[in-house]
Amino acid sequence: MTSVPAAVEETAVRRAVADVPDPELPPVTVGMLGMVHAVAVSDEGVVDVELLPTFSGCPATEMIERDVVAAVRAVEGVREVRVRFRFEPPWTPDRIDATGRERLREFGIAPPGGPTGAPPPDGRPTLPLALGPSSDARPCPFCGSTETSRDSAFGPTPCRDLRFCAVCQQPFEAFKTLRP
Amino acid sequence: MSHPQVTDTAAVDLTGPRAQLLLALADDELVTGHRAAYWTGIAPSLEEDLAFSTIAQDELNHADVWFQVLLGDEVADVRAGVDALAFGREPDAYRHAIVCERPPRDFADTLARHWCYDRFDAIRLTALTDSSDAAIAAVATKLTHEERYHLEHADHWFRRLAAGGDVARGHLEAALRAVLPEALGLFEPLVDEDRTVAEGLLPVPHAELRRRWSEVVATMLDEVGLGELAPGSRDAPPADAGGGRDGRHSADFTDDVWPEMTGLYRAHPGARW
Repeated sequence: MTSVPAAVEETAVRRAVADVPDPELPPVTVGMLGMVHAVAVSDEGVVDVELLPTFSGCPATEMIERDVVAAVRAVEGVREVRVRFRFEPPWTPDRIDATGRERLREFGIAPPGGPTGAPPPDGRPTLPLALGPSSDARPCPFCGSTETSRDSAFGPTPCRDLRFCAVCQQPFEAFKTLRP
Repeated sequence: MSHPQVTDTAAVDLTGPRAQLLLALADDELVTGHRAAYWTGIAPSLEEDLAFSTIAQDELNHADVWFQVLLGDEVADVRAGVDALAFGREPDAYRHAIVCERPPRDFADTLARHWCYDRFDAIRLTALTDSSDAAIAAVATKLTHEERYHLEHADHWFRRLAAGGDVARGHLEAALRAVLPEALGLFEPLVDEDRTVAEGLLPVPHAELRRRWSEVVATMLDEVGLGELAPGSRDAPPADAGGGRDGRHSADFTDDVWPEMTGLYRAHPGARW
C-alpha cells in the first residue's frame, strides 16, 4: 500500500522559516529582521525559500541557511528545501519589525530609526579616536538618553558599530543604518 | 538534472567581457581585503584594529559575492567554485590593479591607499547600479550601502591626518605622493572593455570613471591644501604599477600575496572549514 503524501501546510512552513533565530543575536529571528523575501511550497513537498542577507558578507548566512533547511524539513510532508539568498530588493533596517527592534534594544543594541538630533556629549573627555556625533544618532538602549555619540563605525560584527552614552556612561552597539 | 561541479577554473569560461569585469571587481576586493587583514592585532589602536579587520572581512566577502555572480545559479557546489576562483588561479589570471597588491608599509601609506581605493570603489559601484546585467546591478546597490562605512572611515582619516601636526601631515603627503600615481592603474581598461561597455555591463568606460574620481580627489586635496598632488588628466601610472587588468603583476603579488593567500588551498585542494 502506498501512502498518499500529506499536503504541506504553507503557514507551518512560513512559521518555521520566520522562527529561525539569528545565530549571532538569538533573541531575534529572521522573521523579525525582515530577511524572508519569499516562501514557495510545491505540491510535491519541495520548499523554496528566498532570503535577504542583512550584510552581504555576514558570516552567519551559512548558519542561517542550514538552520532554515533543518526547521522546514521538520514540517510534515516536506521532502526538499532549497534556500537562496538574493540582493534585490536590498535588505534595509526598516524591515526590522517592532518586536525585533525591542529585542535588539534589550540585547544592548540600538536599532536604527530612532529619534535623531542628539546633542554632542557634554562633560566627557573626547577619546582621541572618537568620530563625534553621528549622522544617525541613536538613543541609549540602557537608559534611553539621546546624549550618545558614535565612537567607531566598526564593531564586533560587520553589521554593528560602537557608541557611547554620556548619561549612563555605558558603551553600547548599534545596528548599522545601511543606506547609501 | 545535474549541475556542473566547479572544482577548478577550467570549468568556467573566464574569457568573456562579463567574466573579465567580474574578475576585476572581485580581485580588487580580494587583494585589498587580504592587505587590510595585515592590521588585525597590530593596528595603532583598538578602534583601528576593529576597523581594518571589518574592512578586510567586508572586502573578502564582496569578492565572494562577485565570484558567485560569475558562477551563476547553475553550479552544484558554490563554495567549491568560489574557492577555485579565489585561490585556484595562476597569478597572471588575476585582474586587480597593482596598487591593491602593494604592501601596507606604514599606517599613513595604508590610509592613503584606503582613501584612493574607496573613493574609486564608490564611483565604480554607483556606475554599476545601472548595469544592464540585473545580478550585477543588484549586488552593486547592496554593496554601496555597505561601502559607505569604508568611505566615511577613509575620508575621516584623510582629513584628520591632513589637519594634524607636521608629522601626521608629512606622512600623509609623502604617502599620497607615492600612491596617487599608482592608483591610476585602477582605471586601465578591462580586457575587451569596448564590448563590456557596448553591452552595458559596465555602463561607462574606465576613462569616465577616472574623470569622475579625479574631480572628487582634486576637490578634496584642494580643501586640505594639497591640491598640487592631484593627478593630471594625461598622467599614466608608473610603468611598474600598470598592467594589472591584463594580469601583469609585481613581485608584491607573485612572491608575497599570491603564495600566502593561496597556500592552504594549493596544499589541501577542496579543504573545508
